[in-house]
Amino acid sequence: MIKVEGLTKVYDSDIRAVNDISFTIPKGKIACIIGTSGCGKTTTLKMINRLIEPSEGKIWIDDKECHEMDAVHWRRRIGYVIQKAGLLPHLTVRENIELLAKIIKRPKRERLKRSNELLEMIDLDPSEFATRYPIELSGGQQQRVGIARALMEDPPVLLMDEPFGALDPITRNTMHEEVLHLNSKLGKTFVIVTHDMEEAFKLGDEILLMDKGEIVQKGSKEDFINHPKNDFVEAFVTQQLNRDNL
Amino acid sequence: MRMYLIWILFVLSNLSFAQKSNDINPIKVGSKIFTEGQILGEMMTLVLNEKLDHPATAQLNFGGTKVVFDALLGEDIDIYPEYTGTGYVFILKKENLIRDPERIYKEVALAYKERYQILWSPPMGFNNSYALVVRKDDPRFSGISKLSQLPKDLRSFRYASPHEFMERTDGFRSFKDFYQFQFDPSQIMGMDAGLMYSALKEKQVDMIMAYATDGRIEAYHLKTIKDDLHFFPPYWAAWNFKEKTLKKYPILKEATELFHNLISEEEMIRMNAAVDEYKRSPKEVARNFLIKKGILTGKVNKKSSHSKRGVLEFLYQKRFYLYKIMKEHIQLSSLSLFLAILISLPLGILLTRYQKISGPVFAVINTLQTIPSLALLGLLIPLTGIGFVPAITALFLYCLLPLIRNTYTGIQGVDSKYIEASKGMGLTSFQILKTVEIPLALPVILAGVRTSSVIVIGTATLAALVGAGGLGEPIFRGVATINSSLILLGAIPSALLAILVDKALSLAERKLISKGLQLQEKR
Ligand SMILES: Nc1ncnc2c1ncn2[C@@H]1O[C@H](COP(=O)(O)OP(=O)(O)OP(=O)(O)O)[C@@H](O)[C@H]1O
Ligand SMILES: [Mg+2]
Repeated sequence: MIKVEGLTKVYDSDIRAVNDISFTIPKGKIACIIGTSGCGKTTTLKMINRLIEPSEGKIWIDDKECHEMDAVHWRRRIGYVIQKAGLLPHLTVRENIELLAKIIKRPKRERLKRSNELLEMIDLDPSEFATRYPIELSGGQQQRVGIARALMEDPPVLLMDEPFGALDPITRNTMHEEVLHLNSKLGKTFVIVTHDMEEAFKLGDEILLMDKGEIVQKGSKEDFINHPKNDFVEAFVTQQLNRDNL
Repeated sequence: MRMYLIWILFVLSNLSFAQKSNDINPIKVGSKIFTEGQILGEMMTLVLNEKLDHPATAQLNFGGTKVVFDALLGEDIDIYPEYTGTGYVFILKKENLIRDPERIYKEVALAYKERYQILWSPPMGFNNSYALVVRKDDPRFSGISKLSQLPKDLRSFRYASPHEFMERTDGFRSFKDFYQFQFDPSQIMGMDAGLMYSALKEKQVDMIMAYATDGRIEAYHLKTIKDDLHFFPPYWAAWNFKEKTLKKYPILKEATELFHNLISEEEMIRMNAAVDEYKRSPKEVARNFLIKKGILTGKVNKKSSHSKRGVLEFLYQKRFYLYKIMKEHIQLSSLSLFLAILISLPLGILLTRYQKISGPVFAVINTLQTIPSLALLGLLIPLTGIGFVPAITALFLYCLLPLIRNTYTGIQGVDSKYIEASKGMGLTSFQILKTVEIPLALPVILAGVRTSSVIVIGTATLAALVGAGGLGEPIFRGVATINSSLILLGAIPSALLAILVDKALSLAERKLISKGLQLQEKR
C-alpha cells in the first residue's frame, strides 16, 4: 500500500511543481499517473522514493512513514524503473541485476539463484544473456532487465517513469502483458507514470490525471469515460484516445 | 587495487637511496655540464683518491654556473672548477674596468671570501677566455699571435661569433672599439656557438670569437690570436670550495696546490679535443695527463679505446652507464607520476563535489603548467636545493593538470541518469562513486594517466640540469659538446621509453576498462 498526503514540491520559492496532492493505492494495485508534459508526474514519483525531498507532505509504504528512516534504506524497499532502463553500461546483465544485492552483501549463491529466477521470469535465458552487456541487448530486453533489477530485493512497491515510452507498439504490448502478469502473480503495488491514456486504461486499476501540479481526477477507466470531472478531463481523454485510434 | 600495490612495490624496489657508508666522508667533486669541467673534475677525483688517498666521488652532471654555484653554497658538492671571469662578471656582477688579470683574480678571491665564504685556489695555469680564432693555414695570419699585431682594417675578413656575444654591450661592439678594428658590417654574423667552428674550418668565415681552450681548435687545425691588451677579463681556472669545507678536509689545500700552474692552454685544448673529437672518456684523459705530469704512476693509455665506433658498439660500451641513467629516469618518472596520481585522483573527485573551489584550483594548476619547465626548475632550486627533490617536484607538478582535469571531467561527464538509477536503487553516494562513477569515468582518467606519463618521461630529461641524472644527462652533455652519439644515447632510449609506456598503458586500459564500455565505444 502506498499512501500520500498533502505532498507538495516548491522550487525556488514560487514554482509549485506539485501542489498538495493526496492519494492511496491499495496493495497489489496498479496506479497510472498521466498528464500533460511538465504537470509534475516525475516529481511526484521521485518524491515517493525521495530522489526529490518533498517540501511538504507525508508518504507511507505499508505502515512505515518515510521520515522514520533514512533515504537510502527507504529506497531499498522500492523498485525504480526509468525510461531506457538506466542499466549501467559497464556491468553485465547479471551484474546489473545483482548490484544492490551484492552491495548489501547477500551471499553469492543466493544472488545467483535469484537472478536466474528473474531472468527466466522475464524470458531471457540466463546461459545466453547473463554475461551480455546492456549494449548487446535490444530496447525491450533492456527494459525487461531494468524491471528484473528493480525486483531483485523483492520490494513491495515498484515505481516506473515512462518505462515503455521508447518501445515499438508490439514490444510495448508484450511488456504490458508482463507487468500485468507480474502484478497478479507477485501482488506488488505499481505506480506507473505514462504519457499515454490507452496505456493507463489498460494497466491502471487507478488512474491519476494531473495538471499544473494538481490531481484533476482520480478513478477507474470507467470513471474517466463515463464521468469526466470537467471539460479538461473530457478533452484530454477524447483527444488522447482519438489520437491513438487514428 | 592490486595494480596499485604492484606498482608501489615496483617503484620502491627501484629506489636505492641507501648510500655506501665510509668512515671518512668522500669529498664530492662537482663540475658544470661541459667537457672541460668534467676533465678537471675527474682529475681532482683521481688526485684525491689515488694520490692523496682520500675518498672522493665525482658528481659532474650539474647544469650551468648558477646551478653548480648554488650546489656549492648549499654544500651539495664540496669543490668545483670555476673561472675568474665568470666569478667577476656573472656572480659578482662587476664591469670589466680593471685590465690587470692578477688584480682581478685577487679581487674575485677577496669578494668571494667575504660574501660567500668561498675560497679560490691558486690558478691552474690556463686562461679559457674569449679569443679570436682563425685557420692555422690562413696565410693572412701567419706570424700573428696577438690581437695588437693585427691590422686595424679588417674589412676584407668575414667574422662570426655566438649570438649572445653580438648582443651584449660588453660584446662585439666594445671589443671592436677597444682594439679600434674596422669591420665590413655586411661580413659580420651571429651564429650558433657549436656551428661556428665548422664554418671556419669550411672557409665560410675567416675569424670567429671562441673559447680559448675549445678542443676543436686543435682538431680543426685552428689557432688562437691572444687578447694581449686584456679587453676580456681573465678566465683563469681555479678550484672553488667553502672555507668550512677546508676545515673539514684540510687535504684540499694540498690537492688544489698540486694543480697550481699545472695545465697550459695548449694542454687543455688537447685534452678537450681528446674527449670531444676523439671520443675518449674524460676520466681516461684526466688519468693520462696526471701520469704524464708524474702525479700518478701507471702507463699512459695511448690508444683511444673507442675511435671510429659504430652506434651499436658505442651503445654496448656505454651499457652500464645507460643502465644507470635509464634506472634513474624510470625512478624519477615513476615516483613523480605515482605521487601525482595519489594526489590527483582524490583531488579531482573532491573538486566534482565542491564545484565552488574547482575554478580557483584549476586556475592555479593551469598556471603551473604554463611555467616553462626550465624556469620551474630554476624557481625550485632556492626552495629545495638541487638533485632528486626539485626534479621530482617539478615533474609532479607537471603531471597534476592532466590527471586532475581528466579525473574531474571524467567524473563530471558521467550521465546523470546512471547516478539517478543507482541512487533510486538505494546506493549511498560512496557506493555510487565506487561502483558507478569511477568505473564509468575510468577511460577518461586513464587517458590522463597516459598523457601525463608521456609528459613526465619527456620532461624528466631536464632533471639532468639539476643534477638528478636520468637520460637527459648524455643529451645535455652531447649538446654542450656537439656530440650527436651522446645526444642519441639519451634521446633514443627516452623516446623508446615513452612509446613503450604508452603501449603498456593502452594494454592496461583494455584490461581495466569494462568490456561493456569498450563495446559502446566501438558503436
Ligand atoms: N529542479 C527544478 N527546478 C525548478 N523547476 C523544476 C525543477 N525540476 C522540475 N521543475 C519543474 O517542475 C515541473 C514538473 O516537472 P516534472 O519533471 O515533474 O514534469 P513531468 O510531468 O514529469 O513532465 P514530462 O511528461 O515532460 O516528463 C515542470 O514545470 C518543471 O519545469
Ligand atoms: Mg517526466
